[in-house]
Amino acid sequence: MLFMHETHRVIGRHAGDFEDLYREQWMGSLAEGDDARLVWYLNHAMGSGPSYQVVTITAVADGGAWERLAARMLTGDLSELAARLEAMRYEVEGKLLLPVAWSALQEVDLSAVPTDGAAHGLSLYMQDTGWPDAPLDDYIELWDADYWQVMRQTPPDKKLLDIQACFQVGHGSGIRPEAILMQKIMNVETLGGLLTRVERYDPTTWPGSYMAKGLEIRDQWESKLLRTSAWSPLW
Amino acid sequence: MEAEGVDHGVEFEGHRSEDQNSTGGDHPVSVSCPDIRRSNRPVRTRKGYIHIGAAPFGVAERGIVLFVHQVHQVVGTEAERFEDAFRQGWMGSLAEGSDARLLWYFDLAHGSGLAYRAVTVTGVADGVAWERLAERIAGGDLRSWARHLDGLQHGSTGRILTTLPWSPPPVALADVPTEATEREPVLYMEDTMWPFPGKLREYIAAAGAVYRPALGAEDAKMQMHIELALQTLPGAGRSPEVTLLQRLTSLPRLLHLLTNDLSEAVVGPGSWMHEALALRDQWRSKLLRTAPWSPLP
Repeated sequence: MLFMHETHRVIGRHAGDFEDLYREQWMGSLAEGDDARLVWYLNHAMGSGPSYQVVTITAVADGGAWERLAARMLTGDLSELAARLEAMRYEVEGKLLLPVAWSALQEVDLSAVPTDGAAHGLSLYMQDTGWPDAPLDDYIELWDADYWQVMRQTPPDKKLLDIQACFQVGHGSGIRPEAILMQKIMNVETLGGLLTRVERYDPTTWPGSYMAKGLEIRDQWESKLLRTSAWSPLW
Repeated sequence: MEAEGVDHGVEFEGHRSEDQNSTGGDHPVSVSCPDIRRSNRPVRTRKGYIHIGAAPFGVAERGIVLFVHQVHQVVGTEAERFEDAFRQGWMGSLAEGSDARLLWYFDLAHGSGLAYRAVTVTGVADGVAWERLAERIAGGDLRSWARHLDGLQHGSTGRILTTLPWSPPPVALADVPTEATEREPVLYMEDTMWPFPGKLREYIAAAGAVYRPALGAEDAKMQMHIELALQTLPGAGRSPEVTLLQRLTSLPRLLHLLTNDLSEAVVGPGSWMHEALALRDQWRSKLLRTAPWSPLP
């Protein structure tokens, strides 16, 4: 399965209409086919980065389904809606993601993804995108052995993040080397501590040991705080 | 001034007068363009919306459907090994199958931009073939090659493109050479344009109706011609974005463009340069030189 990750720079005065169009028309029209579904609609949390930036992630059955989706958007039944969305943003930057072998998220049951736009609560995600100096495989293995395996054993009441997915960029559709973590924030108070605490890590204990080891692989990454919309199919 | 043949190590052909205005890329062409604002609205059919004159994306007879375009930031001390990795490894590996081929290997021409940048364009038959290739790299037989390449480049930025309806047809995959043959390098001007919000279709239609014919008119002495006209596919790069891969045929005309201001006739009202400002004002040109062994010249 592929995940089409798109970052939209929306024209501020059209932000409401942009989201409405996604919710009321795009999601349903996309679902008229059986091989692609919008799964996340996320707003970059105000105060933590660029204004009016939206991230959407669309689950696509396979490469053939992506080609069909692209054709629908360029010349087919989705082209009119695609043109209306295009008129409400400055640009969109897309990449096709593949789940890494140990990612908790591998497949999405497309038939079970909601398409009705029903309202629900909000969730906050931390999307980490990293660019290693070392081979990409080494970075993904570091995340597996020294981050994911430790984080998954953290007791729920002490857990800041739930790592829901890890991706690498499909060949030629974005940057290499690059890997991405989609992490749901489970405890906002703990996030507050992370934001306000002075960073001093003890290299003899985790997470300091991970931070020290990580510097052998990479020192450049970006965290984005993304808040699901009230109707995002996954949240 | 006329010029023909090999100059500065780059092969050129054709003739051109110094005082002719037609240059290239998304660049000045001395034509009027009364219909530049003509819309290209979709028309509803029983199969959904289509655009008049637009070939359906993915039609098999158009040959290659997907073009994987990558810009590589090469480690300077590894430049030769990097090129070898593509010539020996990538080109050969793809040749074992029938659904993907390395098409071009370019270097960004020295003195015209960032150092140690290589551009590769790989043709892929369709989305299924692309996914197969991506899986081979992520966890299959090409994984070790990709790991090797990670050590030879700081990184690469890729996007996946398809041809515009009015693009010259791409070469068939079966006709792409898979063994390195040495030839003189060829210079290309690659132009990438970013139309204003909501103007992508109008821009594509206008460029096809006005710009392309101006370059390809029978009585025009061409400085360059469009090899491929491309747009970035949804989910695989930036949009709105259009890329023209243009083969230069006159070095003197390029040097004239670089060393002279554009005349009023070229940039004034009624010209492509002027009227197209309603659709875009941002683009980037790159001068790319093919490697002597590049499968396509």
